[in-house]
Amino acid sequence: MEQTKDNHHQLEQNKREQPMSLLMKVMITGFVGGVFWSSLGYLAYFFHFTELSPNMILHPWALGDWKYGKLGNYIAIFLIGLISILVAFIYYAFFKQMKSMWAGIFYGVALWFIVFYVLNPIFPNLQPVSELERNTIVTTICLYILYGVFIGYSISFEAQEMNRQTQMQATNE
Amino acid sequence: MTAQTNSIPIFEKLVENENFLKQKIGIGTSFDLGIRKVKVLKKEVHIYYCTGLCDTQYLVELLKQIVLINDHERQTAQAKQIIENRLVHQQVSPVENLDEAVDKLLSGLIIILIEGEASGFVVDVRSYPGRQPQEPDTEKVVRGARDGYVENIIVNTALTRRRIRDERLRFEIIQVGERSKTDICIAYIKDVADPGLVELVKKELQQIKIDGLTMGDKTVEEFLVKQGYNPYPLVRYTERPDVAATHLLEGHVLIMVDTSPSVIITPTTLFHHVQHAEEYRQNPAVGTFVRWVRFLGILASLFLLPLWTLFVIEPSLLPDKWAFIGPNKHTNIPVIVQIFIADFGIEFLRMAAIHTPTPLSTAMGLIAAVLIGQIAIDVGLFVPEVILYVSVAAIGSFATPSYELSIANKIARLLLALAVALFKVPGLIIGTTIYLLFLIRTRSLNTPYLWPFIPFDPAAFMQIVVRRSAAGSKVRPSIVHPQNRQKQPT
Repeated sequence: MEQTKDNHHQLEQNKREQPMSLLMKVMITGFVGGVFWSSLGYLAYFFHFTELSPNMILHPWALGDWKYGKLGNYIAIFLIGLISILVAFIYYAFFKQMKSMWAGIFYGVALWFIVFYVLNPIFPNLQPVSELERNTIVTTICLYILYGVFIGYSISFEAQEMNRQTQMQATNE
Repeated sequence: MTAQTNSIPIFEKLVENENFLKQKIGIGTSFDLGIRKVKVLKKEVHIYYCTGLCDTQYLVELLKQIVLINDHERQTAQAKQIIENRLVHQQVSPVENLDEAVDKLLSGLIIILIEGEASGFVVDVRSYPGRQPQEPDTEKVVRGARDGYVENIIVNTALTRRRIRDERLRFEIIQVGERSKTDICIAYIKDVADPGLVELVKKELQQIKIDGLTMGDKTVEEFLVKQGYNPYPLVRYTERPDVAATHLLEGHVLIMVDTSPSVIITPTTLFHHVQHAEEYRQNPAVGTFVRWVRFLGILASLFLLPLWTLFVIEPSLLPDKWAFIGPNKHTNIPVIVQIFIADFGIEFLRMAAIHTPTPLSTAMGLIAAVLIGQIAIDVGLFVPEVILYVSVAAIGSFATPSYELSIANKIARLLLALAVALFKVPGLIIGTTIYLLFLIRTRSLNTPYLWPFIPFDPAAFMQIVVRRSAAGSKVRPSIVHPQNRQKQPT
């Protein structure tokens, strides 16, 4: 231990990683969940499993023609990630105590109904559900379910782990 | 120990002991159990042994010392103490009752009983038949330690202790199996591992009621994780002491079972099964590259065949540029049937290769690959693409580091392909969704199976995606609930 104090602190192994706060985790989970599952949605669109691609959220706005191309989809995927942070916080606020995976599944299904029935008029290229292809409906519902489980189960699990830790500390003290 | 309360004490008369042991364990009937009778200081001394499990050289040396007593000592009254002194071995312990003595005798220790004494000695001169540590076949690395666990639990704990000289490393031993009395060792580091998990594992192990653990750790696993008919492996096995030591330091609890050369790592997630020691023997960048390619292989082994089946059934799904995919000529047999036949063919090969001697299996591989594949196409049984995709999927399964996982993935792949053949797009989508939900729901010792993907843990997920450098990975994975999060001392 002849090193000077400054040197010592610069070593990679001596940097401390602070545990992430729960809110930070919720935020990242929301963003990653939005980006990941909408990317899969784009892949599904590429293989014609669904008529809808992520860029449908850009359609209501008057933007250049780029919004219909690849660039539009990439930007839309990023935007869905941002919106998804909000979705994650809504789950965190109301349902974080739900332990079962089913909470996430229902959350996903509820989101699907909100987007495809309630918000339907916003999206000019989204037909009423009764006129959508069967494949589109199946693919989107499944994506929403998996997305809901991803968000819901992650947040519930993290909340449980936090409870566990605080309980452990309480018993240790 | 309830067994000791109603046990039979050692008789003072040696004849009674002998009669009892002859009846109980069949000395005289079983050829591998024997008695050597000597007279020391005018007292009968009986030495019971189990041939094959004890080292004859030590036994001869001990006998020599005992017989020499007659030349040097006179005090017959203190025969017992004198004999104890002359047992030149570090592991000598007294034994009070015959049941305990029988257990020891059958593990290969020798029992020394003296006329007129109500207690005897057991000396640990065990030497089990077994092989030397060698590199495990299933987990080879280009560089790195070449030693592997063997069938002897003592050697295994020694190989682990060689790597972790920590005073807080614990090896707790219990015996399981009414008839086999197999030794099981629970290994953990006391101030790191989750005490709740250690307790849970101990409780589960103590509750095992079975006559013998002949299949070693696999039998223990089935009692431990209660997986039913879930094909996915819920614990990770390793035969490498360096992998085991790494997991101990991360806060995992290991279970070693005597007579099996692999140890059980708990708790385990799916992502423990897709990592390999080789990645940690290369640069972080190379390790990451290797890992991504491996992930690609595993994904291909799962989804390539179902996807291709779908595109053959519904070519309209393909983007225009990808229209070349799919059989060019008319097929005689439905594609899904071809896939099943080809996949089962590879399964035949795999199974046959396990128990075929090496010189023959080379020839067998040639016949299978060249002749059957080519001729099946020539006679119109298969379209060439089936061979291509089934082979890629099969190689993907061979690239899976965990043998158990690769077989489970194979089952999942065939089920998905079947769902596609029956229901087309909804079959694939709903099938995959149910498959993922099933994996998410699976828990191994209260650990979610898809952690850190679902439930998502950003930091831990980065550790899976990128192989971090040893200096850069500073925290233990949170899923094992380590008591001490930081790897380096504060």
